[in-house]
Amino acid sequence: MTDASLSTLPPALANPRKPARFALARRTIITPILLSLLILAVAIVTVMTGSRPFNQAMIDIMVRVVLVVGLYIFIGNSGVLSFGHIGFTCLGAYAAAWLTINPLMKKTSLPGLPSFLLEARLPYWQSAIIAALFAGLAALIFGKVLMRLSGIAASIATFAVLAMINTIYSNWESVTGATSSVVGIPIVRVIWPYVGAAIVAIFIAWGHAISRSGLALRAARDEPTAAAASGVDIPKERLIAFAISGVIMGLGGAATAHSIGVVTPDTFYLGLTFITLAMLVVGGMSSLSGAVIGVLLLSALIQALRWLEAGVPLGSTTFALPKGLQEIALGVIMIVILALRPAGLIGNREITLFRVNRNK
Amino acid sequence: MLQIVFDSLSLGSLYALGALGIALIFGVMRLVNFAHGDVIAFSIFALLWPSTDAMAIVFAGQLPWYLLIPFVLLVGAGLSVLCEIVVFRRFRRANPATMMIASFALGFVIRYFLLMLFTSRPKSISLLPMLSQPVEIFGARLPLLQLITIIATVIILIGLTLFLRRTRFGLEMRAAAENFSMARMLGIRANRVIMGAFALSGALAGAIAMIFGSQTGTVDIQMGASIMLMAFIATVIGGLGSLAGAVLAGFLLGAASVIMQVVLPVDARPFRDAFVYGAVILVLLFRPQGLIAARGTKERV
Amino acid sequence: MSLLVLANIEVRYGRLTAVRGVSLSIKDGDTVFITGPNGAGKSSLLRAIAGVTPASNGTIDFDGYNITGKAPEDIARLGFSMVPEGRDVFGSLTIEENLMVGTGMKAKDRGWKAKRAEDLEAVYQTFPILKERRHGQAGLLSGGQQQMLVIGRALMTNPRLIAIDEPSLGLAPNITDQVYERLIALQSLRALTLLIVEQSSTRANLVGGRMLLMRGGQIVLDGDARELGNSAAVQAAYFGYEDH
Repeated sequence: MTDASLSTLPPALANPRKPARFALARRTIITPILLSLLILAVAIVTVMTGSRPFNQAMIDIMVRVVLVVGLYIFIGNSGVLSFGHIGFTCLGAYAAAWLTINPLMKKTSLPGLPSFLLEARLPYWQSAIIAALFAGLAALIFGKVLMRLSGIAASIATFAVLAMINTIYSNWESVTGATSSVVGIPIVRVIWPYVGAAIVAIFIAWGHAISRSGLALRAARDEPTAAAASGVDIPKERLIAFAISGVIMGLGGAATAHSIGVVTPDTFYLGLTFITLAMLVVGGMSSLSGAVIGVLLLSALIQALRWLEAGVPLGSTTFALPKGLQEIALGVIMIVILALRPAGLIGNREITLFRVNRNK
Repeated sequence: MLQIVFDSLSLGSLYALGALGIALIFGVMRLVNFAHGDVIAFSIFALLWPSTDAMAIVFAGQLPWYLLIPFVLLVGAGLSVLCEIVVFRRFRRANPATMMIASFALGFVIRYFLLMLFTSRPKSISLLPMLSQPVEIFGARLPLLQLITIIATVIILIGLTLFLRRTRFGLEMRAAAENFSMARMLGIRANRVIMGAFALSGALAGAIAMIFGSQTGTVDIQMGASIMLMAFIATVIGGLGSLAGAVLAGFLLGAASVIMQVVLPVDARPFRDAFVYGAVILVLLFRPQGLIAARGTKERV
Repeated sequence: MSLLVLANIEVRYGRLTAVRGVSLSIKDGDTVFITGPNGAGKSSLLRAIAGVTPASNGTIDFDGYNITGKAPEDIARLGFSMVPEGRDVFGSLTIEENLMVGTGMKAKDRGWKAKRAEDLEAVYQTFPILKERRHGQAGLLSGGQQQMLVIGRALMTNPRLIAIDEPSLGLAPNITDQVYERLIALQSLRALTLLIVEQSSTRANLVGGRMLLMRGGQIVLDGDARELGNSAAVQAAYFGYEDH
């Protein structure tokens, strides 16, 4: 960590003039571009195969890229763990549902909505933007309180936020339909909007990481005492990252809603928290490339395990893994990687064209 | 009125015991153990045969109570120590965030292991059925179980206090919780103290499982999660690392929940927990260090 | 006979090397001062011997055992007692509990309880103030009293060697005098070996014994404390004049 911090306590922070910032941007923009190309490549292959189930699986991956990149923006840059981000995804998903479901259906299934929501029927991309901003606003409000806590206490408190959102959405019958599914969300089956969302998320994450606030936050992560002494307002920088990542989580929520057409509160609870955290940890918590690569790797693994759980014909018998093994395998992989490579597979680095660069 | 007091105490007991189990481990190794809730679930499922039926087939549950209770406590302690040896020992030098994720992952492994054997369907069990008849006390009719819960918790708390204050091992644990490195320089064996903390914490998880299982009459693999969350919150409010603070905050949360249940209008009652979390966040706004700030628990840098 | 032998010890924190190749042998019953300016690597050396931050290179022998890379508790059990900088009392424990923490390592010996009571009485005799406040919280003691407490706590483990990191840190000079007075008395009484880290050499000159001067992670001077005194050689070594 010390090594990385020496290069992150950056000249740009000490000397935040424009030229330095431009140089930094020019030097690092190759990373989001490469990651976007990687995602585009996956999408193009998907479209060329023309297989419906494969298409859906790839859409899931794009949605997860959005979510995990959203997690990275806060966890990766601040070093503070959050278990609450999927709560913001929940907010985003339901907001998207409220804004896009046919008003006729809403009047019967969600009668408690205020009239401007009851009447609303926006196209999916408008609803996604509003949903993202709504989640970001919620993150800003929660974050205002949480970011005053020390790292460990803040992590636990984020858990309370997740549970709080889940409790409200599981019980508010007339607005969220309580635990029953909210159906009728227009499903978008084309992969491109999801690819777009993933790329937007990646570029926002990059933009934040090289901003003054992002640099200060990473400096504070690696050298808290030194950063505080040189005037970094840690709660403020954490709050900024928290709110931005809240926006991305909300965007991911809207994307989830439109990809499956149904939302329930339990879709956005511990299970999703676990999977997204696992992806971030396996790839590398403090690296944007790690976040994206973690999603791709673990998604492939999950897909393989699902296939085995469903049963594979093996000669005359069907070979099937017991249900639950998928999560167990994920958990074990996560623990092993944490023990052997605490910084994740990618570590502290980012992929670039010429060499693997040390944390920008 | 008396009813409210007893309800608060018995709910608070669960939270307090849970918080204590988390604070014990946090004290000696700065680990926030997210697997604790799943240890709770596991120790009660150890009484059942693996099956997918809704009616649980109890096997060890047929034991008389004086064997049943030690069995569950031992299962909790055993699993907890196993977690330490197999997993957490590899993370001694890791930072708290890494340990937290590792414990979160371990919790999932335990939970889905149970799911594999028992499915996710809740099961009804009857543990210690003689405890469900009501008793009259000070003119209020209370389930005997509630009374026993409170008494058992008080006994556990007194026992633990005596253990920590009066025994050599308790002294070593308190010293280690305050300054682990200094304690080691005085010859205290790190592994022994940490395993002791895990064993105690696991036994507490077993106790919670018994109480909760007999109160609700059902068990399911998620049962630990809600108690665990309240217990976590109690440790934060109580000041991370302070055992007394954790217990006190646990009872406070219990009381807050019961009072909310009574005070809130009927429509809002399902949101009780959300209100409690909200109240907690408000408390933290004014006291970011918790109500009872502990010594020597500054974030390790 | 040599009690503690270091061979080519090196301590690294990431890219930073705090101790570079220190070799040293300390005789049983000696008083040894390690002095030197801030950042000379004195504390790092002590922590490496105690096993707190293991040395990245070299070997350490104590009382004939190779303790390189051993856990701090195992090293303590061999009779190496470390009193770290900043005193580290267990503030929430009582004074008597503090004294008792380290006594468990002898619990397997026969008659250890009687021995422990005896030790306790001896510590109380040396530091009567501790007996007076034996049931009070250790965190409420003054700095000087805390220093006495940690020395007493180290004594309770029946060590062969006590290593003390900056006992005078933050204490008024007259309190420091008291602490040293008792340390020296204890040493002759118990045939202890003392390894004391201090920033300045003044104390070493007063007390006498062997003095090592560390600078830049190396031992640059080694001799009798009184003979070296505040000589030009010490000055030069301390401030590194030869570099300029």
